[in-house]
Amino acid sequence: MTEVAIVGVGCVGFRQITPELSYKELMYEAAVKAYEDAGGINPRKDVDVFVTCAEDYLEGFSIFDEFVPDQLGAALRHLFTVSGDGMLGLATAYMLIKTGQFDTVVVEAHSKASDILTYMDIVAFGLDPIFNRPLGGHPYYVAGMEMNRYMHDTCTTMEQCASVVVKNKKNAILNPYAAYGAGVTIDQVLCSETCFYPLKKLEISNPADGCVVMVLASENVAEKLTDKPVWVKGVGWCTETPSLETMDWTKAVYTRLAAEMAYKTAKISNPLKEIDFAEIHDLFAYKELQHMEALKLCDYGEAGKLTEQGLTALDGEFPVNPSGGLLGMGYGLEASGMQKLLEVVLQLRGEAGKRQIQDAEVGLAHTWRGIPTTTGVVAVLSNKK
Amino acid sequence: MSLEKITNPFNARHWIGHMEADYVYTLGVAGERFFKEIKENGKIMGAKCQKCNITYVPPRMYCEKCFEKLKEWVDIGKKGVVHTFTIATIDINGEKLEKPTIYALIKFDGTCGGIIHKIDETDTVYIGMEVEAVLKPSNERKASINDIAYFKPAK
Repeated sequence: MTEVAIVGVGCVGFRQITPELSYKELMYEAAVKAYEDAGGINPRKDVDVFVTCAEDYLEGFSIFDEFVPDQLGAALRHLFTVSGDGMLGLATAYMLIKTGQFDTVVVEAHSKASDILTYMDIVAFGLDPIFNRPLGGHPYYVAGMEMNRYMHDTCTTMEQCASVVVKNKKNAILNPYAAYGAGVTIDQVLCSETCFYPLKKLEISNPADGCVVMVLASENVAEKLTDKPVWVKGVGWCTETPSLETMDWTKAVYTRLAAEMAYKTAKISNPLKEIDFAEIHDLFAYKELQHMEALKLCDYGEAGKLTEQGLTALDGEFPVNPSGGLLGMGYGLEASGMQKLLEVVLQLRGEAGKRQIQDAEVGLAHTWRGIPTTTGVVAVLSNKK
Repeated sequence: MSLEKITNPFNARHWIGHMEADYVYTLGVAGERFFKEIKENGKIMGAKCQKCNITYVPPRMYCEKCFEKLKEWVDIGKKGVVHTFTIATIDINGEKLEKPTIYALIKFDGTCGGIIHKIDETDTVYIGMEVEAVLKPSNERKASINDIAYFKPAK
């Protein structure tokens, strides 16, 4: 069976607002960059399948999938939309190429968050209509509740959660694709407003606009298109339950199961040793810690302490979110998995500029579909076949 | 390139759209019974799987472990324990709330799941706190989760 590689990436954004570009132009610009990066392929004839990832409510369209072909060069070509995070698109592309029927697949995901005037209402609309929604309120109360139980069970401290924000926003200063880079202190984080006790305002990622397009290819094609292929060694995904009443409030079970699936394919038995760095979903600061544990990068309840000690800093033994994460780049909604993948690809190619991790060979990308979901995707990538 | 850049999306040419979407959410067999019991009898009920010995709250029609249809109903009482909570200080529009809202997941002894609701009539709240449901007066109940007005510290 063929190996699968990422052979081209293109990114526009991520920025707080992009008033000068429509969502179509945002996608077009990212696509042009990705095709150029993939050895100058022509999407009108060199791509077998296009996969876009979008959720209708976030786009303001019903049947948004009908509105995506032309700006990718996919008019009258073979295209479909996955209603979910961009990394589910990666998983789909991976499977398509593995079948041997398709050689080149394009994956796209974007965020035009600044176009959404009532984003929180859409998030709230994701809650169970009968048992949860009638209570009203800001839906991020779910995150406050989860953080509280996670801290209670693991003895993780407020300072440890805040140290994630300090690290990620600092990394983001070095990332031209990041919108929210800043030098903040633990005290500044802890003194920011407590929006959903114990969750602080600065521990919540802000939305950002942007688009990422990637070109994936089978082994034979990949090696013709680029001398820097990034190989997809394993992908895994999982959904725990839509019920807030029965979900696990301490452990990210969905991420654990997705990771086990990806590690099995990638033949990873000791992730901390066999992987060099990770891009982990940090919509809220505590989620980076909870997800680190679920990804088996450390023992349950240890992530906070290790972060405080500098393990996951850019110059630490195991950098986490060298891109600045979503806290630093901005939350690209369904593109957040693609933000993670983008950084892993750039690092593995040695193109991450001032935030380059020396001798990085294997990287991990992880995403989560945000509140109130329990869906996660994990991918292991390497610059060695 | 222009020196003046647009920083407010409303200053770029745009069109404001509005998506109206109204739904009726069917309660289903289990939901119908659950809300009827609260409305008419003031009881909080769970559905029990005899095979797995699991009582689901809120009740459902089938067991998620063994996929069997659930037929046994159990009164789980009105007292539970705070599994986790948060204190929200802002509303959905980001505006500061006059009075912060306490949201909690309340678990009931011997059951799987629980009820997400508000906690009131208290200055303190902690994980493990015993609370009890305060129902609305029966003539104000509408077969909704809001027929439970809130939970308060248990006596």
